[in-house]
Amino acid sequence: MPSVLGDYAPVLVFGAISVVIAAAMLGMALVCGQQKPYPEKVTAYECGFEAFDDARRRFDVRFYLVAILFIIFDLEVAFLFPWAVSLSRIGLFGFLSMLGFLSVLGIGFLYEWRKGALDWD
Amino acid sequence: MNAMSVNWILALPEITLALAGLVILVFGVLQRPGKGIGACTVLSIAAFVGCAVLVALSPDGAAYAGTFVNDSFARFMKILVLLGGLVALLLTVSYRTDERAPLPFETAVLILFSTVGAMIMASSANLMTLFVGLELSSLSIYILAALERDDVLSSEAGLKYFVLGSLASGLLLYGMSLVYGYAGTMEYSGLIAAIQQTTALPVGLMVGLVFLVVGLCFKLSVVPFHMWTPDVYQGAPTPVTAYMAGAPKFATFALLLRVMSGPFGAMAPRWQILIETLSILSMVYGALAAIPQTNIKRLMAYSSIGHMGYALMGLAAASTNGVRATLVYLAAYLVMNAGVFAVITAMRRKGREVTSLADLSGLGRTDPGLAAALAVFMFSMVGAPPLAGFFGKLMVFAAAWQSGLYVLVGIGALSSVIGAYYYLRVVKVMYFDASAERLDQPARSLVFVSGSMGLATVFFVLALGPLMALARQAALALGG
Repeated sequence: MPSVLGDYAPVLVFGAISVVIAAAMLGMALVCGQQKPYPEKVTAYECGFEAFDDARRRFDVRFYLVAILFIIFDLEVAFLFPWAVSLSRIGLFGFLSMLGFLSVLGIGFLYEWRKGALDWD
Repeated sequence: MNAMSVNWILALPEITLALAGLVILVFGVLQRPGKGIGACTVLSIAAFVGCAVLVALSPDGAAYAGTFVNDSFARFMKILVLLGGLVALLLTVSYRTDERAPLPFETAVLILFSTVGAMIMASSANLMTLFVGLELSSLSIYILAALERDDVLSSEAGLKYFVLGSLASGLLLYGMSLVYGYAGTMEYSGLIAAIQQTTALPVGLMVGLVFLVVGLCFKLSVVPFHMWTPDVYQGAPTPVTAYMAGAPKFATFALLLRVMSGPFGAMAPRWQILIETLSILSMVYGALAAIPQTNIKRLMAYSSIGHMGYALMGLAAASTNGVRATLVYLAAYLVMNAGVFAVITAMRRKGREVTSLADLSGLGRTDPGLAAALAVFMFSMVGAPPLAGFFGKLMVFAAAWQSGLYVLVGIGALSSVIGAYYYLRVVKVMYFDASAERLDQPARSLVFVSGSMGLATVFFVLALGPLMALARQAALALGG
C-alpha cells in the first residue's frame, strides 16, 4: 500500500515549489521594493474612474444566470479539446460518445432558450 | 475501453429512462407556458412502467469496464426505487399550489432524472459510479424541494438541503479519497482484495470508511445527520416530500448495503458498532422528537428518521439474514409511506393545503374512507400485526437477535412502544376529537393511491413468501 502514496511524491514536490515561488515573489517585493503609499495610490481602482458607490449592493440575478450558463458551455470546450486531439486514436466509439454528450447539452441549450434564459428583458 | 466491453444491454433501463426524460423535457418546453403538464406526467408514468419491465428482464453481469453491475440485489432495489418514483408522480397529478397552479412540467422530468440517479446508485460497482449516481439523484431533489419558489418555506427547504447536501457530498468524497489513498483502487472488487491482503488495517482506511458512512447517512437522514429533515419535509411541496421519503432512501440503502457487505464486508466487526449506534440514536430520537409535533409533514419526517433506524438494524446484523430483513423492511416502508403521503396530499380545505394535525379532527366521521386508510397506515407504522410494518420490524428484530445484538433489539422494541404514542394519537384525533370543518373531496388519483397502498398494507402477508424469496436471492447476490 505505501507504494501508492509514493506515487504522489511529485505532487508534494510541485506543492513545495509553488509555495516557495509564491513566497519569494511576494517577499522580494516586500523586502526590496520601495514603498511610498499615498491616498491616490491605495484607493480602489475602477477602470480609471473614481469608485461610483458601495461595492455591497444587489446585483441583478440574471448576472448569475449568465455566469452559470457560461460555465456549462465553457466546461464543454474543456472536454472538447482533449477529445479533438485524440480523435484519431479513440475511433468511432469515442466520436459517438462525444456526440451523445453534445446532444444532451444541445437539449439543455434548447431548454434554456425556450425558457427565455437568454433574453435580457 | 472499446464498444464491446461496454455491455450496453445491462444499463438499458437507465438509458431508456434518461432518454425518455430528455424527450419529455423537449416536448414540455416546446408547449406554450403552463400547457402540456398532464401529458408530461402521463409520459413519465409510461416511462417508469416501461423501465420497470426492462429492469425485471435485465440480465446479470458487469458493464462499463466493471464500474456498473447488475444482479438480483440491484434489480430488487431498482424496482423499489421505480415504485417510489411512480407513486410520487401520481401524487403530483392533482396537486395544486396555494395559487391554484399545478406544479410545472419540469417536476415529472426532475423526478425522472432523480430516479435514473437512484438506479445508478443501486448498480454501482465503483466508488465513482456511486458518487455520480448520488449526485444526479441529489441535484434533482434540491431543485424539486424549492419548486414553489414564491413560497418562503419551499425556498428555505431547497437552500437548506442544497447547502447541507453539498457538505455531505464533500465528506463523502473526502472519505472516498482516503479509501482510494490507502487501498489504491476505487473498484469494489479491488477493495475486497486489498482489504483481505492486509493483516493490519491502516487507520486511514477506517477513517475513510467512517466518512463514507457519514456522507451516506446524511442522505438517509439518520441521527446525528438528520437536522435538515423536518424543515425540508415541511417546506417542500407534498408530492416532492413523498418522493424524498421514498426512492432516494432506498437507493442510499442500496449503496450502504452493497458497500458495507461487499468491499468492507471483511471489516464487519469494526463497523458493526458504528451502524448499531446510528441505529439506536435514530430509533430513539425519531420516537421522542415526534411527540410534540403538530404538523403532519414534520411528524412524518421524524417518523422516517425512526424507520431508517429500524432498517439500519438489519445492516448492523451484518449477515445475509440481516440484508434480507432490511430489504423486506424497505418494501413494507415503501407501501405505508406512499399511502400516508397520498392522504396528506389529499388534505385540502377550500382548495388550500392544510397540514396541521388538528385539521384531521373528526375525519373518521367526515370522510370515513380516507380516515380508515390513514388509520391502517398508522397501525402499520407502529408495527401492529398483521400489517406490512409488522413483518418488516419482525424480520429486522429477528436478524439482529440472531447476530447477538440484544441491546439493539431491546432499545428497538422500547422505542417502538414510544413511537406508538404519536402514531396512535393521529388515529385518536381522527376518530375521537370534535369534527373540524370538512376536507375537500379527494382527487381520484389520490383515492387510487391511498386505496391501493392501504390494500397492499393489509394484504402484505399474502405477498410475503415471494417477497422474502426475492429478498433472500438479492441478499445472497451481495455475498453478505
